[in-house]
Amino acid sequence: MTEIIKRDGSRQPFDAPRIVKAVASALNDAQIKDHDFAEYVAKKVANTVDGLELVDIYDIQDQVEHLMMSSEHHNAARKYIEYRQTRDIERESRNALSREILSIINQDNEELLNENANKDSKIIPTQRDLLAGVVARHYARQHILPKHITAAHDRGEIHYHDLDYAPFFPMFNCMLIDIEGMMTNGFRMGNAEIETPRSITTAAAITAQIIAQVSSHIYGGTSINEIDRIHAPYVRKTFDKHLQQGMRWIGNEEKAREYAMEMTEKDCYDAYQALEYEVNTLHTANGQTPFVTFGFGLGTSWEERLVQKSILKNRIRGLGKNCKTPVFPKLVFAIRKGVNFNPEDPNYDIKQLALKCASKRMYPDILNYDKLVEVTGSFKTPMGCRSFLGVYEEDGKIIHDGRNNLGVVSLNLPRMAIESKGSEETFYQLLEQRLQLAKEALMTRIQRLDSVPARVAPILYVEGACGVRLKPDDKISEIFKNGRASISLGYIGIHETINALYGGKSTSGDLYDSEELRRKAVAIVETLRAAVNNWKEETGYGFSLYSTPSESLCDRFCRLDKKKFGVVEGVTEKGYYTNSFHLDVEKKVNPYDKVDFEQVYPKHASGGFICYGEYPNMVNNLKALENVWDYTYDKVPYYGTNTPNDSCYSCDYEGEFNATSRGFECPQCKNRDSDRMSVTRRVCGYLGQPNSRPFIKGKQEEVVRRVKHL
Amino acid sequence: MNYLQYYPIDVVNGEGTRCTLFVSGCEHRCKGCHNATTWDSRRGIPYDQAMEDRIIADLGDSRIQRDGLSLSGGDPLFPDNLSGILKLVKRVKAEYPDKNIWLWTGYTLEELSHAQQEVVQYIDVLIDGRFELDKRDLSLPWRGSINQRIIYINKRTLKQIK
Repeated sequence: MTEIIKRDGSRQPFDAPRIVKAVASALNDAQIKDHDFAEYVAKKVANTVDGLELVDIYDIQDQVEHLMMSSEHHNAARKYIEYRQTRDIERESRNALSREILSIINQDNEELLNENANKDSKIIPTQRDLLAGVVARHYARQHILPKHITAAHDRGEIHYHDLDYAPFFPMFNCMLIDIEGMMTNGFRMGNAEIETPRSITTAAAITAQIIAQVSSHIYGGTSINEIDRIHAPYVRKTFDKHLQQGMRWIGNEEKAREYAMEMTEKDCYDAYQALEYEVNTLHTANGQTPFVTFGFGLGTSWEERLVQKSILKNRIRGLGKNCKTPVFPKLVFAIRKGVNFNPEDPNYDIKQLALKCASKRMYPDILNYDKLVEVTGSFKTPMGCRSFLGVYEEDGKIIHDGRNNLGVVSLNLPRMAIESKGSEETFYQLLEQRLQLAKEALMTRIQRLDSVPARVAPILYVEGACGVRLKPDDKISEIFKNGRASISLGYIGIHETINALYGGKSTSGDLYDSEELRRKAVAIVETLRAAVNNWKEETGYGFSLYSTPSESLCDRFCRLDKKKFGVVEGVTEKGYYTNSFHLDVEKKVNPYDKVDFEQVYPKHASGGFICYGEYPNMVNNLKALENVWDYTYDKVPYYGTNTPNDSCYSCDYEGEFNATSRGFECPQCKNRDSDRMSVTRRVCGYLGQPNSRPFIKGKQEEVVRRVKHL
Repeated sequence: MNYLQYYPIDVVNGEGTRCTLFVSGCEHRCKGCHNATTWDSRRGIPYDQAMEDRIIADLGDSRIQRDGLSLSGGDPLFPDNLSGILKLVKRVKAEYPDKNIWLWTGYTLEELSHAQQEVVQYIDVLIDGRFELDKRDLSLPWRGSINQRIIYINKRTLKQIK
């Protein structure tokens, strides 16, 4: 008896009626009635395998195909081949799904496991999240996204970010939570009715609860805009309570006030300490510590100043007995002339505290008030690490809180540049096509949220986090229209794009050194901006241009391009693509010149940007740090100073650890035990602790190559 | 006088944003020295008028504010370096009275010769003493071993040493 080897390697007796059935079905699809033909094919095949012990299923299928093609039933033959192909793809993708699932169990797919430095893939809840992500991504690619979008994503022409969440789930990216509205008007969370807090302690505790809830319903970062202003009323309530107590027990008003102030200061400090611990111990339904950002710094009242100082002092102190640098919340400190910029400003002391904090803990990053308003139209904290909303008014009032970003699709610019083979004209033609693709991809995000009822995320839509109180069955789509939400086109690798397009031809050196190339780089970003402006005009949605942080994308695009085009000098050879418009991390320039180089971009990419400088440890030189901060004030809206300050639990050394191929090392006692150190580095807009959770390969390569700007 | 390195913008040698010059020549030869290549006074690049002019120009840069000049090495107070260094610090103080000068030397304040003291008159902050490997502490600001001192020079310190 003849046996068939199936695709999965198993064996089964040869069964001629199966061939009859397959051919008949193909004839049927081609609307041909010739049952004898099916019998004829089956018989022919049966004859050829007769006497053989083992036959491969592919040989059988090839024979069937051949017999059909050489008959008069060409249409039926075509149907048969199409069917086979479809089945092959399905089977292949089912296998891909199984493989990915298996790799979570076996912990052997680094790309999947280290894609997000904030996810600890060793633990069960994160694995559950990764599993959900694998399935959601798979389903969305197969059944939700148009085929050509999936294909463009797979080829690495565009990147549909966060496929592990959306569009399978009707989730959006990042937001500014309307904490003020929620606390003022009360809300329901889980089984509890929450009323307006009566103290800063309760307000901070509730804030943590809201963050936990909100970050389980969205996939990007959650930010609190001007937390000093929002929490100030609760500081006042705490003070009033203490003053009342003081009057009752002390009597003397002056003494009682002094007592109340001291007690409030302590309460406020403790409240933010608890909040910081909460955020760092939280585990959201997305299998990670929530990406949280606190924006603060503009308030000048006693209460607001107290909030600012409490946040900074807690951060300076660090977490736990080893005083470890916390990774969350990200702190963003606003600097404004007249508030805290100059020594004569009322909050200049807090700027000094912020400098001390940044030198020790890397955060806060700074928002330069005037420049931010100039570039984005109004002052607001970034959503997540760098996404900025545009101006939007309701009833003649500019609002920010409760607004959000619907998601990102990024363009692989270096790919287009390589494909253009040095022709600028071809590049711009390709760009036109890919922009169209990206727009279609972004529209699928909007469509996915159409007709979704508010009840899928009560905290966002019913209880006020999005600044609205919809009924559970109301459609959510209205609140994303007319620029209330942003939706972003991202881009990566301006540096590599310029190298690929103009490399070798320019006699005036590289992008940094050549005025001409600088203009060409800006022209590309201007083209992207013009495209999103058109889309905005056309659709009414708040399309914006976003400088993609590219934690894992810097690796993915480059890897795919290297596979397709090989090692291209100055483009694919490093194993990563440079973040958006950023200067090549290997370029040795001083931070002032880097700021000058990058300052032209944020006004074009006003939907998302950040500029950085790489510094040595600055704990002992706050003055120099302040010099750089001050320099950026009228040049870039948003700036981060990467000032590594690691600590060794073996010898108590504090300063920058050496990055070696075998991990990080204490320069004083040569300790390499990752459990006995705290090492913090910038991953994208956020910090990460690479000693405990490694970065994805391309990102690690980029981190190793970063040169100091001083 | 030769110099090994010149950093027009520096934040790790002294407070604030600075210009830093590392000169060649040092007779201390401390064990574990961080800059042993700077011992030989013949190494590096000849220091000339153009270099002096460049330092003066950088200190006066209006775009990037400098808080002052840092002199290290090698040893700026190495005998062969004294005349060049003296000329430089005099000029810096004359042209920018508000900018400070930091100087690193392996000699202690007490053992300075007259010629060396003459230079120190123009210095605001002196980090003195040899580097002693067994007293190394990387966490100390601006110096390598615990015996080294950060001395803010004023009239009284100058009188003491005279």
